[in-house]
Amino acid sequence: MATAAGFDFRRWRLVLLGGLLVGIVLFAAIFAPWVAPYSPFDLDVAKMLQGPSAAHWLGTDELGRDVLSRAIYAARISMQVALLAVTVGLVGGTLIGMTAAYFGGLVEQALMRAMDLLFSFPAILLAVVLMASLGTSVLNAMIAIGIVFIPGFSRLARASTQAVLRQQYIEAARSIGMSDIRIIFREILPNITAPLMVEAAVAFAYAVLLESALSFLGLGAQPPDPSWGNMLSTGRGFMAQAPWLSIVPGMAMFICVLGFNLLGDGLRDVTDPHMRE
Amino acid sequence: MDIRSRALQDGRPTLSIRDLTVDFPKRDGAFRAVDGVSLDVWPGEIVGVIGESGSGKTMTALSTLRMLPKRAVVSGSIELGQRRILDLSPADMRKLRGDRLSFIPQDAMRALNPTMRIGRQVGEPLVLHRNLSFKAAVSRAVDLLRAVHVREPERRVEDYPHGFSGGMQQRAMIAMGLALEPELIIADEPTTALDVTVQAQVLKLLKEIRDREATSILFITHDLGVVAELCDWVYVMYRGRIVEQGSVERIFMDPRDDYTKMLLASTPTLFPREAAI
Amino acid sequence: MIRLVLTRLAGFVLTLFAASVVLFVTINVLPGSAAKSALGIHATAQAIQRFEAQHGLDRPLLVQYAEWLGRILQGDFGTSFQNGVAVGPELLKRLPVTLELATFAFIIANLIAIPLGAWAARRHQKGADRSITFLATILGAIPNFWLATLLVLVFTLTLRWLPPGGFTPFTANPMMNLKQMIMPALSLGVVSSALLIRIMRASMLEVLSTDYVRTAEAKGASSRTIVFRHSMRNAFIPYLNVAAVEFGFLFGSVVVIEDIFLLPGVGSFVLVGIINRDYPVLLAGALAITLFVLTLNLVVDLIASLLDPRQVKARNA
Repeated sequence: MATAAGFDFRRWRLVLLGGLLVGIVLFAAIFAPWVAPYSPFDLDVAKMLQGPSAAHWLGTDELGRDVLSRAIYAARISMQVALLAVTVGLVGGTLIGMTAAYFGGLVEQALMRAMDLLFSFPAILLAVVLMASLGTSVLNAMIAIGIVFIPGFSRLARASTQAVLRQQYIEAARSIGMSDIRIIFREILPNITAPLMVEAAVAFAYAVLLESALSFLGLGAQPPDPSWGNMLSTGRGFMAQAPWLSIVPGMAMFICVLGFNLLGDGLRDVTDPHMRE
Repeated sequence: MDIRSRALQDGRPTLSIRDLTVDFPKRDGAFRAVDGVSLDVWPGEIVGVIGESGSGKTMTALSTLRMLPKRAVVSGSIELGQRRILDLSPADMRKLRGDRLSFIPQDAMRALNPTMRIGRQVGEPLVLHRNLSFKAAVSRAVDLLRAVHVREPERRVEDYPHGFSGGMQQRAMIAMGLALEPELIIADEPTTALDVTVQAQVLKLLKEIRDREATSILFITHDLGVVAELCDWVYVMYRGRIVEQGSVERIFMDPRDDYTKMLLASTPTLFPREAAI
Repeated sequence: MIRLVLTRLAGFVLTLFAASVVLFVTINVLPGSAAKSALGIHATAQAIQRFEAQHGLDRPLLVQYAEWLGRILQGDFGTSFQNGVAVGPELLKRLPVTLELATFAFIIANLIAIPLGAWAARRHQKGADRSITFLATILGAIPNFWLATLLVLVFTLTLRWLPPGGFTPFTANPMMNLKQMIMPALSLGVVSSALLIRIMRASMLEVLSTDYVRTAEAKGASSRTIVFRHSMRNAFIPYLNVAAVEFGFLFGSVVVIEDIFLLPGVGSFVLVGIINRDYPVLLAGALAITLFVLTLNLVVDLIASLLDPRQVKARNA
């Protein structure tokens, strides 16, 4: 009963921990020019491959650039890609899922079969094939990753919509002659946002992983633009002399992905009534 | 007429519960599921505990098996023969279950493992408590199934539960409970899920077993008709307490507690044939 | 049982067909660049036209697809735009590498996930459960290509126990083959196990809360007996189905892992196809990986239904 304000710390601790990690990454991404000690592009051949020091906390890379600054700027690209990709997946998937559940019948069959099909491809393979078709660029990475997410969101949106459709007030809305579009956006959408937001947090984590993988393969962000994936990719070439070039970007990805996963897990526990005692 | 005839024949009850209290801690205080219950079951006696759901009858039964949810707080005493159940170590308690004390649950279909052959399930107590091999236990299961009138038991032991009808599943559960000739069988609404004719057959079987093996039975139910058909002595439970006890004849002819009167009044098949004799 | 197999096989073939359409359309929908990539940036318009005509890239997509499918059904995967090598035999040579990697990775993932998931469920909401759930969260956040990098850093560069990559056929040198395979398989398997741990834990928790587990307890079965005799098989049925789908979803990472460890498998074939815009190579590789994943799902699905006597009987009737 110590939580007099009614705030149950134990229940929210995952959300808080995840939020803290995500907060750090977002802060670095948004305020990169102020947070980063150096420019991510400034070359200094005299300082090539230097280990961590007071001047360069996380060392320098093969062109003498500050690794910390590059990692901070890479957060920007990661967050941009993840944000747009999740938006594409969320909007596309929700529209498809709600349409399928609302209209049912043949529409539902066709849409969900198509989603099943997309779902049967391994995630990275689908993203990679899409990149081959779209061409390599950061924007295309966002679109490709977003498409990968559409089936997952559509399944969730469909299931949630079906649950909402069983409620009385939808019948009421229909009986007073509300249009389909209005019912979908006014009555259904607000009631399915909670599970979709939980899924979005988890998708964010996965988007960061996919973007890094694409950049690692050279299909995403192109050097000299820093991304955790391409930093790791080039860093691997200097693994023996400069292991920090491989460790730092991976650690950054790890913290970011862990943060979003914890946030998603925590939100799921908090919003799911079954988890409460 | 309200004399417990069997009590006079033998000096000690099979089961003796004194002042049993079961609490479930909650954020604000505790929920008292069982409140100072005392009851006896004498050798060869069928004792009914009747009450509506939530009256604490099932909690009383599970306390005797020590199978309450872990967060339950139990006080009072329960003696089975000379053993003080609540003081036994978990390992000693485990040796008792299925051997000296067996349990027949409400829904036999769900109580049988869908991926295990009937013979193995019925014979398992012999494996657990008598160190028999499963092969020997299954051949004993044939006899047990025959004893509960399952036709062609030699063939039936090879079946999976989904091949059995509801009545046969409950017979199999009873056979399992009988495997080691326990001192006490606790039956928790074993006929509720069955239709009326099958229900009558199962009740007849339980009676037959009592007459043949002199086993004591604690029978939990909400059905007065079943009590009248089967039991020697009845305890009426309401909101965690025993409000009245007596022989079946007395309870039916001369109910004293208001709740018992209400129960009787709300049961259409008021005067069962056996009580009238 | 035969009917069950036939139904699943029919679904498998249909999905594979639909997947081939999606892959073909996705890869060929944007025309033009294949020729440039094969001939170089300075190719003349005439040369590009000739190249496209030669490879049939100037005809309608549907016609191209029909022809491609027809040839594939005869086992002809075409020739590489880049070097004119026949794709089919090359793919066949690469398949065993990826198959071995996939098998090892799936085994490792399950060896970690099944015991840990079951144990966590058995100790629900106790210390062990919390530790295992936490471990799964940590493992799930490690990018597998970073884990691969760290493994190389530790086992190759620091301890000098394992070679950095490459492939030796098992038949040629079993020890060398395993040494080269262990790090790629760990990178894929350990990270995939994070998800599988959660699935196993959830399946087991579901089973442990059933009435028949309570029956076993009432019979006097110990917690160990309950888990192994009464719950494992039942928990496996949903676990295997979900685990195969999720593993397949993660299996696309072979593209990255094979690249890191210089494994000449289907994954690196796909990557070469993309970098060179070598459509026949890319298509064949992507199709092979999809086929892989679908086959894994099919096999696991059948195993799971064999475990369930209700299904075996129902489908027989």
